[in-house]
Amino acid sequence: MTAVQENTLVTDSPVDLAEQAAPQSESAAAAARAMIVFDGVEKVYDPDVVALETASFVIEKGEFVFLVGPSGSGKSTLIRLLLKEIEPTSGRIFVGGRDLGRLRRSKVPQLRRNIGCVFQDFKLLPNRNAGENVAYALKVQGEGRNAIRRKVPEVLGLVGLTHKTDSYPDELSGGEQQRVSIARAFVNHPPLLVCDEPTGNLDPDTSVGIMQLLYRINRSGTTVLMATHDREMVDKMRRRVIALEDGRIARDERRGGYTTE
Amino acid sequence: MLSEAVRSISANLSTTVAATMTVLIGMFLLGLVIAFATYARSWSDDVKSGLVVKVFHDRDATPKQVDAVRVVLERDSLVNQNRIEFVSAKEGLEQMQKDRPDLFSAKLPYNPLGPAWTVYPKRAEDVEQIANRLGAKTERYPAGVHNVTYGKEKARRILKVANIINAIFGIAVLVLVSAAAILIANTIRLSIFARRREIEVMKLVGATNWFVRGPFMLEGLLCGLTGSVLAVILLFLSKEVALPSILPRLASDPGVGALGFWLIALILMGVGLVLGAAGSGLTLRRFLRV
Repeated sequence: MTAVQENTLVTDSPVDLAEQAAPQSESAAAAARAMIVFDGVEKVYDPDVVALETASFVIEKGEFVFLVGPSGSGKSTLIRLLLKEIEPTSGRIFVGGRDLGRLRRSKVPQLRRNIGCVFQDFKLLPNRNAGENVAYALKVQGEGRNAIRRKVPEVLGLVGLTHKTDSYPDELSGGEQQRVSIARAFVNHPPLLVCDEPTGNLDPDTSVGIMQLLYRINRSGTTVLMATHDREMVDKMRRRVIALEDGRIARDERRGGYTTE
Repeated sequence: MLSEAVRSISANLSTTVAATMTVLIGMFLLGLVIAFATYARSWSDDVKSGLVVKVFHDRDATPKQVDAVRVVLERDSLVNQNRIEFVSAKEGLEQMQKDRPDLFSAKLPYNPLGPAWTVYPKRAEDVEQIANRLGAKTERYPAGVHNVTYGKEKARRILKVANIINAIFGIAVLVLVSAAAILIANTIRLSIFARRREIEVMKLVGATNWFVRGPFMLEGLLCGLTGSVLAVILLFLSKEVALPSILPRLASDPGVGALGFWLIALILMGVGLVLGAAGSGLTLRRFLRV
């Protein structure tokens, strides 16, 4: 657990996004304090498929938020908007106080280094072993060899995979692969961790382990936004739930379940 | 970055080999065509430089009449002024005796030849016009001149052949370069397509475009370099071993020769490098928009 406690430094990490913002009004100042702000965001795909309809919500630093809803309800669109993979049709998005609409393309890599991503299909590089997969996220940022040698074992220890450092993805179970991908997402200690159905491909027991891991990461101060279908998990955790339906926010509860009772 | 490139080359050996082979074949053919094209050009230039206008004076032409022709030639802008050669009657006879000794088995009682001019044009194509200005077409020659020749049919045929050769090789070079470019781009696209998931992941963990592109371009560069170096080696072998046995007299013609081998080698390596790097860099652009 010591590793996790050390991670409280996340909030004042050198790449703190909030420092970049120049708040002009009170709402802008609030936007700068929050982790994620969606301000009337709409996304319409060509020709006129509405994926997200005027969504507005605020996620504070350190929150753990479930994003639930049936397939095609706009969860993935929301996550892709956060990563600036796609642009909103209208409305504004702030991540860590930064207005994504005004973020230059050349700064997008910088943004993504501050958002750890975990996906349903893990997205590990197949020709690199677990340690190298994690190290890649550090190399991308130009981290030195010494820092990599120090940080990779540390984060693999955190996810409980020290003994699998030299294993390639196809030698790992689904749960282990997901742990590696969480380790990769978290090795930079990003202030925000975004998970797109991280337990979608895993059996219930393994899912519990992954959830515990995400919970620990959240306790260390990292904001976690998790899109999921896992009803049982959401009901058990009793965290904030944002429910999407047909691109609209149907529900936003502080301690919600997967469905309203 | 180098380590990333080496890593991806060894991890994707088959596509790398395919790309290298494509470069090798493309550059080898290009090298052959350049060599033959420059050789053919130099041959046709050599033949063309043999095209001259000859002005024959009467045996009894006065020095004044000879001088008048000289003035006409010196004023002609199509004539290469450094190469207006006067051939006196005596020199003409000696030359003829040397060229055709069989005609001179008996000693001649007198020299039947008059003085003559051998005129070189600035451009081989102009021999006809120069001759016509001296009346070759109408056969109305200046006073004291009894004939003006420029190897009419021969000149026409040589020029025609030279033009055709130039055109054919120009087209061949163009076709080959573009074929090689397309082939290489395709091979690289295949290898990148096979790794587009990898690129997607790289972008998602926050790699800059250049961080992703760098190793790929370096890989393309290495492929291009390896392929063209192999092509140069192959060309060298065929030049040293195969060529002399196929065309023994090709190499020995004086004044005729292809572009220097090492110059061709340099061109090939340059083209190979650029094709490899630019090919992969440009192909990647599509996949970088994540």
